[in-house]
Amino acid sequence: MNVIFAGVVGIAAALFLFSDPENFLASLLSGGEKAAVLALSLLSAYCVWLGFFKVLERCGLSEKLSRLAAPLTRRLFRSDDREALFLAGGNLSANLLGLPGAPTPLGIRAAKRFTEAGNEDAADMLFVLNATSLQLLPTTVIALRLAAGSTSPADIFLPTLLATALSTLLGVLFLKGGKFLCKRRAKRR
Amino acid sequence: MQEEGKEEMTALLIPLLFLAVFVYALFKKVKLYDSFLDGVKEALPLVLSLFPYLAVVLMLSELFTRSGLSDMLATFMAPLFRALGVPSELSTLVLVKPFSGSASTALLSELYAAYGADSYIGRCASVAYGSSETVFYISAVYFAGSPKRRLLPALAALLANFLAVVAGCFLCRWL
Repeated sequence: MNVIFAGVVGIAAALFLFSDPENFLASLLSGGEKAAVLALSLLSAYCVWLGFFKVLERCGLSEKLSRLAAPLTRRLFRSDDREALFLAGGNLSANLLGLPGAPTPLGIRAAKRFTEAGNEDAADMLFVLNATSLQLLPTTVIALRLAAGSTSPADIFLPTLLATALSTLLGVLFLKGGKFLCKRRAKRR
Repeated sequence: MQEEGKEEMTALLIPLLFLAVFVYALFKKVKLYDSFLDGVKEALPLVLSLFPYLAVVLMLSELFTRSGLSDMLATFMAPLFRALGVPSELSTLVLVKPFSGSASTALLSELYAAYGADSYIGRCASVAYGSSETVFYISAVYFAGSPKRRLLPALAALLANFLAVVAGCFLCRWL
């Protein structure tokens, strides 16, 4: 992230210097403004979902759901931490259902618990699953296509599903492969 | 008709989910209001802790697009995209998506307006948008406060998303 930050800021500043220097600060400010607007909409989504999850937790449903998904999540994350597995499982299902704003709070807490327990591989796995998009129904795209006057807005459903499944599969493969190579190199030394 | 059914299904899903869980909670004698409120109390601290990352990533995204850097990179990489079967009109979208969801949503709408949502380019753009994620933002947020550098997972996700775009454009010709 440090490399990307330095690269983008440096090159952009140089480009602005030659085109229109006034716009450099304006761009930074508008980025901050967008973050403020987004933070507000995130806040409302998190209020709804964190309230809902707390009810889920108190009535014991989260425990049950977690046990139900345990055969899958335990294998995926190689962890026995029930709380973290519930959070991660909830994160994955919220992703699949495409509930806006619901996956992130669960995912962050799960990643934190995994990291604190020294299980960094699990946190990395959770990140890759999230960062390769798991959504079953691309609701944003369908809504935008409808607004743009498409005659059949949902006909991208199948290719998107296949492409996103492929990206998740490849992401997991690359992560596992990369870790394997790193370990082998470390051993040789 | 089929599409309408799908839209309705997602709209029905959320109230059904809430109803089922709340009825079960009442059945288990859980104090609904108190529990829900306790959950909501966690929302503001969470957003506060995420805000710095959000702000920096979105500043980067603005600099990236408004300085013309994204367009420059896009023109530079267009031959590579074309060689892989990705229409070069999509290159800016593919480059901006890892930084910002809202900036790439705007680009997607522009592509629809310019080429039509049902055109080959429009369909490819839809698949490219739908099958990739805001990798930099997610990596900043998930690994916030983590002492180690996490280059490998981010690279794995970026490469996987890019290859999925290539595959998606290929699929758009057949499906």
